Amino acid sequence: MIESPAATAWYVYGIVAAGAAAHDEVRLIEQGGLAAVAREVPLAEFGEDSLPQRLNDREWLEASVLAHEGVLQAFVETGVVPLRFGAIYRDAREVERMLEARSAFFHSALSRLGGHVEIGVKGWLVAPGPPPRRAEATAAGGRAYLERRRDELAAARASADRVVDAVRNVHRQLFAVAVDGVVNRPQPKELTDRSDEMVLNAAYLVPVGDRTLVQTVLRVAAESAEAGIELEVTGPWPPYNFVPDDEEPDE
Amino acid sequence: MSVLDRPALEHDVTLVELVDRVLNKGVVLSGDIMLSVAGVDLVYVGLRVLLTSVSALEEHR
Repeated sequence: MIESPAATAWYVYGIVAAGAAAHDEVRLIEQGGLAAVAREVPLAEFGEDSLPQRLNDREWLEASVLAHEGVLQAFVETGVVPLRFGAIYRDAREVERMLEARSAFFHSALSRLGGHVEIGVKGWLVAPGPPPRRAEATAAGGRAYLERRRDELAAARASADRVVDAVRNVHRQLFAVAVDGVVNRPQPKELTDRSDEMVLNAAYLVPVGDRTLVQTVLRVAAESAEAGIELEVTGPWPPYNFVPDDEEPDE
Repeated sequence: MSVLDRPALEHDVTLVELVDRVLNKGVVLSGDIMLSVAGVDLVYVGLRVLLTSVSALEEHR
């Protein structure tokens, strides 16, 4: 396929209820009570030929991910079902056809997610127990060494158990005051900009403006601090973590 | 200010937090997407890019 530089496609960020207020950069493509939040994008950037390379361009990826999030943020209070990065359609008619085919799915997703936001909660292990002392094995102290080593391992296990219990306790209390909650795999240290180990990577769905979850975080933070865990709150986010599963067209 | 230019969130959020959500979560529509990125593992690509940038930063230290 030859793509002229002027050729464009429609990038869809998310689905909202028809009649939502649009803003300058995006167009709402409406169909059957739903609206796709879309933007016309150059195929030179988002075409099949160029997208894979662009994804490896860190600056481009950073800007595109920020733009995706920025657009969805504008709709977060009125309700939006986020699409994953890279939903691109040839023209507006194709977007309408998609809305038609997925009508029941999106109406049901909107009724569940509308009026709700996602709050991210991370737990960081900031005060791990003291590292086991390196016991020196000597000819005279072989037995003492083995005993000390055994005690150290037992202490390390007990300390790890305390962390797991504390993390479970945090999630249990937050889940109890949220509409829904998910626990994702902690991000590896190479990807976070902290030297502490991430021990909780959770997200909770709460009604817009509801402060209960954040207040609960503040309350449980005191308890978790005793186990060496610091809690961090992010958001409010569009409800990325709570969209229904991938599905096939309704018909 | 353009909505596309402004920082998405007022507080400090790491890029990985954004990538984690925008590339890994959200509805994936099967079937009729014109330009699917099938064959490209977005998660992998995103994380590899970040890993590259982390190692690049460390080299410059």
